[in-house]
Amino acid sequence: MLKVNRTPVRTSRNFKINNIKLEDVNIPEKVWSFKPATITSSNLVENNVAVSGLTYGLGDSLLKNVMQCANHKAKITVDKQDKDIKMIYHFDDENTNLINYIEIDAKENANVIVEYKSNTEKECFVNSIIKIVACQQVMINVFVINLLNESSNFFLAMENSLEENSNLQYTVIDLGAKNSIQNYYANMTGESANNDLQAIYLGRKNQLKDINYIAELRGQKTNVNIDVQGALKDNAKKNFKGTIDFKKGCKKAKGDENEYCMLLSDRAKSIALPMLLCTEDDVEGNHSTASGKLNEKEIFYIMSRGINKQEATKLIIKARFQKILERICDEEVRNELMEEIDRRLD
Amino acid sequence: MSKIQVEDINRNIYDIKNEDEYAFKIQKGLNREIVEEISRQKNDPEWMKEIRLKALETYNSLELPTWGPDLSELKMDEIATYVKPKSKLNTSWDDVPEEIKNTFDTLGIPEAERKSLAGVGAQYDSEVVYHSMKEDLLKQGVIYTDMETAVREYPEIVKNYFMKCVPVNDHKFVALHAAVWSGGSFVYVPKGVKVDIPLQSYFRLNSPESGQFEHTLIIVDEGASLHFIEGCSAPKYNKVNLHAGCVELYVKDNAYLRYSTIENWSKNMMNLNTKKAIVGKNAQIDWVTGSFGSKVSMLYPMSILNGEGAKTEYTGITFAGKGQNLDTGFKVIHNAPNTSSVVNSKSISKEGGACTYRALVRIAENAKQSKCSVSCESLMLDDNSRSDTIPVNDIQTDEVEFSHEAKIGKISDKEIFYLMSRGLSEEDAKAMIVRGFAYPISKELPVEYAVEMNNLINMELKGAIG
Repeated sequence: MLKVNRTPVRTSRNFKINNIKLEDVNIPEKVWSFKPATITSSNLVENNVAVSGLTYGLGDSLLKNVMQCANHKAKITVDKQDKDIKMIYHFDDENTNLINYIEIDAKENANVIVEYKSNTEKECFVNSIIKIVACQQVMINVFVINLLNESSNFFLAMENSLEENSNLQYTVIDLGAKNSIQNYYANMTGESANNDLQAIYLGRKNQLKDINYIAELRGQKTNVNIDVQGALKDNAKKNFKGTIDFKKGCKKAKGDENEYCMLLSDRAKSIALPMLLCTEDDVEGNHSTASGKLNEKEIFYIMSRGINKQEATKLIIKARFQKILERICDEEVRNELMEEIDRRLD
Repeated sequence: MSKIQVEDINRNIYDIKNEDEYAFKIQKGLNREIVEEISRQKNDPEWMKEIRLKALETYNSLELPTWGPDLSELKMDEIATYVKPKSKLNTSWDDVPEEIKNTFDTLGIPEAERKSLAGVGAQYDSEVVYHSMKEDLLKQGVIYTDMETAVREYPEIVKNYFMKCVPVNDHKFVALHAAVWSGGSFVYVPKGVKVDIPLQSYFRLNSPESGQFEHTLIIVDEGASLHFIEGCSAPKYNKVNLHAGCVELYVKDNAYLRYSTIENWSKNMMNLNTKKAIVGKNAQIDWVTGSFGSKVSMLYPMSILNGEGAKTEYTGITFAGKGQNLDTGFKVIHNAPNTSSVVNSKSISKEGGACTYRALVRIAENAKQSKCSVSCESLMLDDNSRSDTIPVNDIQTDEVEFSHEAKIGKISDKEIFYLMSRGLSEEDAKAMIVRGFAYPISKELPVEYAVEMNNLINMELKGAIG
């Protein structure tokens, strides 16, 4: 049994949220190099990259796995020529295991897209670390997309360091995998650093989503916004753990956290643990979570326009996701996602 | 920018300590012999002794919680679990020994009596020493007595309900409680009886190294209603004190119970209390809770909404000052259709105090059309303090309306400015805002307790304007 993705602060064991336990997940130790990786970047170092540790991450076993067995490592130092970086991992019958380490040193503004998708029905395995340093005054836009098939295991640890006046826009679109386990950490040391994290999850059948987002505000006037929109169908299950931690000294910092879960079946399960931790008085922190089924009136209104119930439901969900999808500047990727969401909602 | 100074409550009246005299003081530590000895001293019937011994086994098999505040200061081996006061059960105030009476006088018990509150079950150390009840309550068939008497005189009722709402294996301190419990109140309100005056009891600890393990069992039968008030205060000691009480509330179909409590333990107390309520069809329980005092508190009242249409409301305030770590919150389980819960929690931390709101909302699969709304607000009065919000929301079905929101921050400059523009001084403006912050809770409290709370939020503002 694999026990991963611990919350930064423990709570009662009976609440079953301190970590996630997974049965029948094997962490592959012997893997061949991962071929179908397409990286678009002018300043890329592949494979000869040193792996450094994580402050949080998913747990020792998965970190060790990356340190010892990574089959794709990439380091990008963003410079002026490198506006649009794309990293596409396209799984196929021969390449089903990816143990992955990505480090991006953002010295200039850039857009980054990291996409995991599968062209195979075979069970895939991803254990990935994405580290980003947003240097002073830099604006960086990151999109991470999970479109793996629904028998796969997806483990992702994201760690970000934000320097003075940096602006990190992070978007996570999580649609795929049987077990999708995410950990996100933003260490906001620089004064006036800004982190906007927006995420979509969509669970159906027996999919499990375990989401653990942590932001630590250390610098003065730092600002974090976490917005998560999700929908659960069938027997899908989701744990959302979001932590905003105001560290002493982060005067005038602001933190907002919002999670909204649309329940589309009476068997779907949603657990949310939105934490606010605070050791500084001159701050503003808010969080809210809500869940429930879709508004009958809204559905009725759309149906009265001649659209059937299923389409009406899809319209409402897509409308909620739209705001986040709009952030994706690459039109091709955005359209691909819209189609995929549409397909998975059927 | 000047900081708001909130004065500590004047604890002098609570910290009066009578000379340490005991008729009986049990040896330190906890083992089978001690539990048997307690049981013998209490004249327990055989079934109660069995419950105690079984609980002791559970106690030994459970671990301390792996979360929450640090409990390493707690050395169970050094805590004498049971101290029996000299005075026996009294039926009239005149029979209460002078020394004990003096302490109660200072605490304001006769005051409450004069205000013709229904009954006062005051606990001095581990045994009930004073008890009075209004005639008309007796006529209505309301039973209000101490737990020991209830075990002897109403064994059938107690057997059915004792440790049934709070299972013995819930956590280590519940098991400890079940093994060594002593004192507490028992209330039974028969079907359809509306008790229109609140019942009150007052607890107090008065012995170094002694824990208090009072058990409160309240049964409000079908269609009945009751308001029960519990207040706590303890004198100050240097050694760590432990409080592991247990409150079990049964609110039957169509019944109503309002349970108000102010926990105001001295600043060396480890307050590890457990409170749960089982709520029947169309019944309602309202909790009003103020947590002050104590060094460490771990207190999470819980409503289990088992009947269709059951309701619960929780209104609570926590105030942590220097050296305090108060970990409190509310748990609710929606176990039936059409149930609803409203939670309103506030906390204030100052001078290095730590407040944690730790909570659970669980809406079970069968709880269709249930509603839950949670709101918590935290006020930080300086940057040495700590305020955490750790709420778990576990939603297992779709036909629900659930929302949770929380806020953390200091007093807003805009609000102060607005009030000042109306002619208030800065100090008055700040005081007004903090009082306003606590008002939703204080208005729910009975007047004596509201006065106590107002004392606590007695503000003093220092420093230059700016």
